[in-house]
Amino acid sequence: MGSHRTLPFAFLLPVLIMGGASALAQGPAFGIGRTPTPDEIKARDISIGPSGEELPAGKGTAKEGAQVYRAKGCAGCHGATGLEGTAPILKSKDPANPDLWARGRILPLRAPFATTVWDYINRAMPLNREGTLTPDEVYSLTAFLLSINNVIPEDQVLDAQSLPKVKMPIGNNYASLPDWKPRTPRLKGYPY
Amino acid sequence: MNYNDFGHLDDEHKTAALGYQIGPKSVITFPSGAQQLPGKGFYEISGLAWSGGGAIKLVEVSTDGGKKWNKAEFKGTPQRMAFTRFGYQWNWDGTETEILSRCTDELGQAQPTRAQLAKYWNKPYDQTFSVPGLDNSVQPWHIAGDGKVTNGFA
Repeated sequence: MGSHRTLPFAFLLPVLIMGGASALAQGPAFGIGRTPTPDEIKARDISIGPSGEELPAGKGTAKEGAQVYRAKGCAGCHGATGLEGTAPILKSKDPANPDLWARGRILPLRAPFATTVWDYINRAMPLNREGTLTPDEVYSLTAFLLSINNVIPEDQVLDAQSLPKVKMPIGNNYASLPDWKPRTPRLKGYPY
Repeated sequence: MNYNDFGHLDDEHKTAALGYQIGPKSVITFPSGAQQLPGKGFYEISGLAWSGGGAIKLVEVSTDGGKKWNKAEFKGTPQRMAFTRFGYQWNWDGTETEILSRCTDELGQAQPTRAQLAKYWNKPYDQTFSVPGLDNSVQPWHIAGDGKVTNGFA
């Protein structure tokens, strides 16, 4: 998640400034590699955290997203309504079930943050053509998927300001990160 | 990737904790599924072991379906956060058998069989049993009399 990903980036910067450009990123043992340029770092630094502060400008609605969903071939793997494909389903088959966990492992329904949905589409879709969607298209698809799961109304406009404010149905209702310290078992009392 | 990324959340704390870090795990890479042994005789069983808990302390190999476990030798020094290659010298008599490996890490966490896990979690041990968290169970390889190696679970 973005909040974690920014850490190595923050450590890298002072090194870049202290060192001089050419020698420091070379492995001393083998003399290979070079310092990445700021543009190269920027191109790879695509993580979007829960706060959404890394989100680019742009906007989209569910209606536009439905068109993008057809135009970009999403339906080919996920099915016309998000249920019929070979890829993971995008809509619950049991949407009225009061138990959210019983509605299935569906990203735009069970994700802890709406920005996670945006990040996933942006970094991982469409399969084999990742990175080809514009920010507007990603906002639209995010709105479409949240809308068909009844997380947001159909006419809501998503952008860098409104997306992080979307309340996901799971809330804080999931197991927190395990309390774990290095050199201790991952689950106390578990023999395996 | 952490367990809570991209909707892979869990509602149960124990499962979440087990999904966050891999326990001691090992697998035999030779002979393994889809390979073919040319005939009876001498082989070096070889495989990899690793654990999120730290360096591997012990790897054992069974060539009789888990009845007898024999200490394997390390190729190099086991390190934290790294694969450890192990080997075990084996003279195959040409009869049908099952080979398995299991390991223990520096914390004393031991690699379980699926049967042990089902018992621990009090679940029926059948095709529907799914290992909670990251699956670090023992992988059996079945060796047929003609030397064909297949998945012991299939």
